[in-house]
Amino acid sequence: MDATVVADRRTMIAGEASAETAMPERDIALLVRDLRVSYGGAVKALDGVNLEVPQGSVVAVLGNNGAGKSTLLRSISGTLSMQGGRIAEGDVTFDGKSLNGLDPAEIVRAGVVQVPEGRRIFGELTVEENLRVASLATDERSKRTAARERVYDLFPRLAERRGQRGGLLSGGEQQMLAIGRALMTSPRLLLLDEPSLGLAPNLVGHIADVVKDINRQGISVLIVEQDAAMALDIAERAYVLEVGRVAIEGSSQELANSPEIHDSYLGRRQPAEPVSEARVETTREVRELRIEDLSVRFGGVAALSNVSFAVEPGTIHAVIGPNGAGKSTLINVLTGVYSANKGRVHFGADELTAMRSHEIGSMGVSRTFQNIALSAGASVAENLMLGRHRLSRSGFIAAGFRMPWVMREQRDHRSRVEEIAELVGLGDLIDEKAGLLPYGHQKLVELGRALCAEPNLLLLDEPVAGMSATESAEMASIIRRVQGEFGISVVVIEHNMPFVMGMAKRVTVLDFGRLIANGTPYEVQRDPDVIKAYLGGSEDRGIRDALEREERNQ
Amino acid sequence: MSYFLSLLISGISIGFVYGLIALGFVIIFKATKVVNFTHAAIALLGAYVVARTHQSLGFWLALVAGISAAVLMNYLIDVLVLRNARRPDPATLSIITIGLDILLGAELRRQIGFQALGLGDPWGTGVIHVGDSFIPQTRLAAAVIAAMIIVWFAAVFRFSNWGVAMRAASEDPEAAALMGVRLRRVSIAAWGVAGALATVAGVFFLTFPGGGVTNLAELAILGAFPAAIIGGLDSTGGAVAGGLLVGLTVTFAAGYQNEIAFLGRGVHEAAPFILMFVVLLVRPTGLFGTKELHRV
Repeated sequence: MDATVVADRRTMIAGEASAETAMPERDIALLVRDLRVSYGGAVKALDGVNLEVPQGSVVAVLGNNGAGKSTLLRSISGTLSMQGGRIAEGDVTFDGKSLNGLDPAEIVRAGVVQVPEGRRIFGELTVEENLRVASLATDERSKRTAARERVYDLFPRLAERRGQRGGLLSGGEQQMLAIGRALMTSPRLLLLDEPSLGLAPNLVGHIADVVKDINRQGISVLIVEQDAAMALDIAERAYVLEVGRVAIEGSSQELANSPEIHDSYLGRRQPAEPVSEARVETTREVRELRIEDLSVRFGGVAALSNVSFAVEPGTIHAVIGPNGAGKSTLINVLTGVYSANKGRVHFGADELTAMRSHEIGSMGVSRTFQNIALSAGASVAENLMLGRHRLSRSGFIAAGFRMPWVMREQRDHRSRVEEIAELVGLGDLIDEKAGLLPYGHQKLVELGRALCAEPNLLLLDEPVAGMSATESAEMASIIRRVQGEFGISVVVIEHNMPFVMGMAKRVTVLDFGRLIANGTPYEVQRDPDVIKAYLGGSEDRGIRDALEREERNQ
Repeated sequence: MSYFLSLLISGISIGFVYGLIALGFVIIFKATKVVNFTHAAIALLGAYVVARTHQSLGFWLALVAGISAAVLMNYLIDVLVLRNARRPDPATLSIITIGLDILLGAELRRQIGFQALGLGDPWGTGVIHVGDSFIPQTRLAAAVIAAMIIVWFAAVFRFSNWGVAMRAASEDPEAAALMGVRLRRVSIAAWGVAGALATVAGVFFLTFPGGGVTNLAELAILGAFPAAIIGGLDSTGGAVAGGLLVGLTVTFAAGYQNEIAFLGRGVHEAAPFILMFVVLLVRPTGLFGTKELHRV
C-alpha cells in the first residue's frame, strides 16, 4: 500500500468523523500507543499502532491475514512471548496501568481477557470445568457463583451440557464455551479474536447478539474479525490494519459507507469472470471423476449417504455445503484417507476407492488441506520441491553421492518449481521460510505444492477459509489461471457460496451428507432446498437447526 | 501355588511403588512437557537424606526431611536452571535434565561410597508367611500407603482447583494462561509434588528387601521410567497401570529365574525395558497415552 494513499484516506475519514458525530466524552479503558512488535527480532508485525477503546464501547479491528490483528491482541493479553514475539517500542495501558511485561495471568486479574482464535477450549475438561479454570482468577466465591450464573443465563445451551467434555461440543457450542469461559474471569475488557471463524451464518448472527448483550452489561469489547459486516454491525468504532499499521479509522457507520471498505472488506465478493470455454490442449491425460452411490459412516453417524455425481474433465467443479455437510469427508475418501462403506469412485478407468493413499497420489490426484500442512521451517522452494517427490527418479544412494544425473534432475525440478511459484504469485518469496509467511501466502504455498506434483486432478479443501474478500478474489483468479494453464480438473470444496459461483462450471451441494442439488451455478442458486440449507428459516429456528446439524454430523 | 501367590502380592506391592515414581514423572511431563531424567536421582536423594537422618530424627521426621530435600532440589531445578534456559523448548530442557541427573547422581554415589545405608523404617525385616513362602511387611505397607496416595492424588487431580488448573495447563498452556492460570505456579507445584512422591517411593523401594541406599540404587529406580512410558507419558492412570505391570514382570521374572534361565541370568533386571519395547511396538503412545490427533 502506498503511504500517501493511506494518509489521504485517513484524512478523508477523519474529516467526516469530526463533522458528523461528536462522540460522547468517556474514559479511555484501553490505550495502545505507538506499538511496535517484532517476531524473532526480525519480522516487523506491528509498526507503530495507535488505538483506543473507550469505557463501555465495542471497537472492531479489521484487516487481511497477516495485517497484524492477532499480534495486536497478543500484545495486549501478554501472550506475545509464547509465540516468540516482543514489544520493541510503545506501550499498552489499561485503566491507566501499563500492561507491558506482565504475565498473561496478571493481565487477566487486571480485568482484560482474550478469547483466543480458534476457540481453544479444553477438550478433555467438562463444560463446567472449563468455566471453573477461568473462575480461579477471581478470589471471592460469591463473584464466581454470580459469574457462572451470568454465563449460563447467556448460554442456556452450556447449562444443558455442563457435564459433557468440551471436545464433544459442536463448533458453535465451543465458541459459546470459549466466550463464556472468558466471562468467568469477570473482565472489564473482552478481547475477541475471530469469533465467527468457521461458523454457519445464523450462528454468526447469534454470536453478534451475544457480544452486544455482554457489552450492555458494561464490559468493553475489542473484536478482531474477518467478517467485516458482522464486526461493523456491533462496533461503534473500527480500525483497519494493513501491514502492521492503522490504515483507516473511524466510526463503524462511516467505514461501512466508505466505498473503499465496501469493496475490499465487505465486498459482495466480486463475481469472478465467466469461465472461458476454450480449453487449453495439453498432453496430460485428463479423465472424468465419477462418484457413484458413495456412503461413509462414522459409528452410527452417516457422514455421506448415497452421493453420486461426476466431474467433467478439464473443468472447475465446486462442492459446497454448510459446516459438517460432509465436504471434507468426501475429499478424504477421494484421496484414500478414509475408506467408503459403500459405493465407488472412478477416475477414468481406475477405481480410486480400491487404492491406497499413495497409489492415488501417483495417479496424479493432488490436494491442499483445510488447515495448513506445510513444513514451517523449510523455504517455500523446499516445500514446493516436496510436491515433486513423486516425479523424482533418482534413488537415495545416487542422491547421497550427488551423481551428475541426479544434479541435472534437481536443476530441472528447481526451474519448474520457480515457474509454478511465479504462476501462483509467490515468485518473490521463494526463499522465505514458509512458516513466517502470512496465512494467505501459506495457502498459496499449499496450492503451489499440489501443482508441483503435476496433477491431472486437483482437490482444494476450503482454499479461502479465513481470508478476506480481497484475498479471496486473488485466490479465485489464481485458481482460474492455474486451471486454464494446466487444463486439469479442479474440485473446490467451500462453504462460501459466492466465492465458487463465478468460478465453477458445475456445483454440487451437500447437506447432512446428502446431495441436495447438482447443476450449473445458476440452477443451484435458485434451488429451494439449497436456499433452505444455507439460510435456514426464522432466526431462532435457525440457530437450533444449525447446532443440531453440527451435532448430527460430528 | 503359595509361591505364585506370594510373588503376585509382592509384584503388586512393588508395582504400586513403581507407579508412585512414574506418577511424579508423568505429572512433570503433563505440566511442563519436560521429560525429567533427574527423577530417579531425586528419588535417591530423598531416600539418602532419610537414611542419613533417621538415627537422629526418627523415621517419620527423617521422612519429612527427605521429602523437603527432594522438593527443594526440584524447586531449584525448575526455578534456577530450567526457567533461565536460553531456549526454553521442552526438548532442550529435557536434555538439560540429563546433565543434571549425571551431576546429582555422581555426587550422591560419592557420598554413599561403598556403604549400604538402612532406612530405619518401622517395619524392619518382618515378614508374613503365606503357606511356605513369605512376603516382607514393608511391601504390604508400601502397597497400602502407595495406593492411598494414588487414590488421594487422583481425587485432588480430578476435583480440586489445583487439579483442574493443572489439567487445563497441560492441555493448552497458552489458553490456560489467557484464562488466568499462573503457569509458573502450576509448574512449581508439579515439580514439588513429584519430588515428594519420589521420596516416598524411593524409601519403600530401597528398604528391606531392596538392599538399602547403595551406589547402585539409582539404576534400580530407573526401572520406573519404563513404567511411565508403558502407561503413556501423559496419563496419570497409565503411570499406575504401567507401574503394576513392571512390578509384576520384574517380580515374576526374578521369582522364576531358574525356569527362564535360557534367557540369561539376571534377565529380570532388564525385564522392564523388554516390556517397554514390546508395548511400544504395539502401541507407540503407550497403553493410555493420548495420540496426537490431526484433522485433515
